[in-house]
Amino acid sequence: MTAETLPLLKDDRLVMVVGNYGSGKTEVSVNLAIRAAASGRRVRIADLDLVNPYFRCREARRLMEAHGISVVVPPGAQAWADLPIVVPEVLHMLSPPAGTLSLFDVGGDDVGARVLGSLRGGAIATGYELWQVINPQRPFTRDADGCLAMREAIERSSRLVVTGLVVNAHLMEETTADTVLSGLAVAREVARRGGLGIRFVAVMESLADEPPIRAIGEPVLVMKRHMLPPWLLPAGEERLPAGRPVPLGRRNGSHGTYRD
Amino acid sequence: MSKVLMKGNEALGEAAIRAGCVHFFGYPITPQTEIPEYLCKRLPEVGGVFLQAESEVAAIHMVYGAAGAGVKCMTSSSSPGISLMAEGMSYLAACELPCVVINMMRAGPGLGGILPAQSDYFQATRGHGHGDYQCIVLAPASVQEAVDLMTLAFDLAEKYRNPVMVCADGMIGQMMEPVEFRSEGRGPPMAGNDWALTGCEGRPRRIVNSLHLAPEQNFAYNVRLKEKYDRAAREEVRFELYGDGRPDVLVVAFGTMARISKSAIDDLRREGRRVALFRPITLNPWPYAQCRAAMDAMPEGAKVLDVEMSMGQMIYDVKLAAEGTRTIEFLGKAGGLVPSPDEVAARIRALLP
Repeated sequence: MTAETLPLLKDDRLVMVVGNYGSGKTEVSVNLAIRAAASGRRVRIADLDLVNPYFRCREARRLMEAHGISVVVPPGAQAWADLPIVVPEVLHMLSPPAGTLSLFDVGGDDVGARVLGSLRGGAIATGYELWQVINPQRPFTRDADGCLAMREAIERSSRLVVTGLVVNAHLMEETTADTVLSGLAVAREVARRGGLGIRFVAVMESLADEPPIRAIGEPVLVMKRHMLPPWLLPAGEERLPAGRPVPLGRRNGSHGTYRD
Repeated sequence: MSKVLMKGNEALGEAAIRAGCVHFFGYPITPQTEIPEYLCKRLPEVGGVFLQAESEVAAIHMVYGAAGAGVKCMTSSSSPGISLMAEGMSYLAACELPCVVINMMRAGPGLGGILPAQSDYFQATRGHGHGDYQCIVLAPASVQEAVDLMTLAFDLAEKYRNPVMVCADGMIGQMMEPVEFRSEGRGPPMAGNDWALTGCEGRPRRIVNSLHLAPEQNFAYNVRLKEKYDRAAREEVRFELYGDGRPDVLVVAFGTMARISKSAIDDLRREGRRVALFRPITLNPWPYAQCRAAMDAMPEGAKVLDVEMSMGQMIYDVKLAAEGTRTIEFLGKAGGLVPSPDEVAARIRALLP
């Protein structure tokens, strides 16, 4: 099963990605944006992470722009300010023109989701998807109880309702097929108890062809790793602060592949 | 215990609790705020105290008070906040009180920026506050090492009755890595001692004081502190030597910069180049003799390259280690920019015979 079967690529217009710190929202959002753009959708992505100072999708701005994606972030040096800036373009993104996907990469936990409260009216008028990214390898969401508590906290703070789950079970470089499968088991319990659907399972490309992953029985988003610390960035490129990924076209275009 | 995916800052918080830390006093500042954020959830669960102070000045003096009462305690901050703590650090060292201070360094000087840097090296290793005192300074290069060094930090603080600083850059605080907590549960409370202010009923009164007006008495006090720092220099030096045993270029770097340098060194070694990394883990005491031994193992004329996320601070210690026997080259960036593995590799290449 390939990512092209994702419902996202048919008619979702406004997708907001939430979840606890470190669940992998940004990696999922960047990969989703690139995949949607590759399928022919016009994509705008807003970096709405107002709580995390590093490893936000603004670091992948040049990479995404190289894929024709419009990236909405505070201008100039303000992108590196320790301030909760929401630029006016975000409001425009709440009512995307036909054929355009608006994607919001939101900050972690209920604290990070609070910004959505101010966008609530427009989101409801347009119709939205609010996807909770789940990674049971993280300390506060190791089981269904933790994930459901996180969902409740995010819903309370954003005043929106989670509409689906994204399973992103991983331990960075140490992820195995078992990591994904055990995470999926937790997510299925969350889905059952929370009355939610699993929208897709995010899997790094290095694992995507393993038989247990192929047999998952859920839509799969095959991901490349784009949010990299500086020592893992692929060779042959001038780097920018905090591990901003590289533009396309260098070294076999192998951005996002693992080094070592 | 199985691994868990944690942000460096959270992992440091958990490691502190497992090391037995029960009191935390601090004030938020990027990029270390997840440490207090994590501890404010976790400390009450273990019967501890979390208190957000009104400033870093207040926080370090709360540490002073708690440590004086014999409580395992800590604070954390980032560069500008650590500057504010200078006075309290001097008092803690002067009164020989154990505590742990984490500095998740950001770009300076002044308010600087929120991106990672290593430009508080002088501050960490050369006093920071006033007077002839020293901190033991530990510099992790990964989230796992940060976790492991937290236990050591509390142990050394107690062993030497001295503040211990865990000095990392914002990258280590903000990055996610799988970690394993090797010590299960809480570490021991501070061992029985003859100095903590615990109430003097039934025993002679104890005094925590740094005022020594008579110069002879104050000098004797300084001598005693110096003997303690010298003992730490003999017993506590930690470092890593990585790569070729007889390299044509020896890179010296710590923390994140060491990790980036390793990527460069791995690339060059795959090309058959002889290069190595010397990584101090204790920034104070600095592993002078060990670094010198690594230099002495090099062929004649081989170069040493000091790489830092600063304008050049540790380079003075590298020069002290070399004592004029080697040319020390420098590569550094500051302001939140980080030299890339390619930049390091290019510079090494230029120095190879």
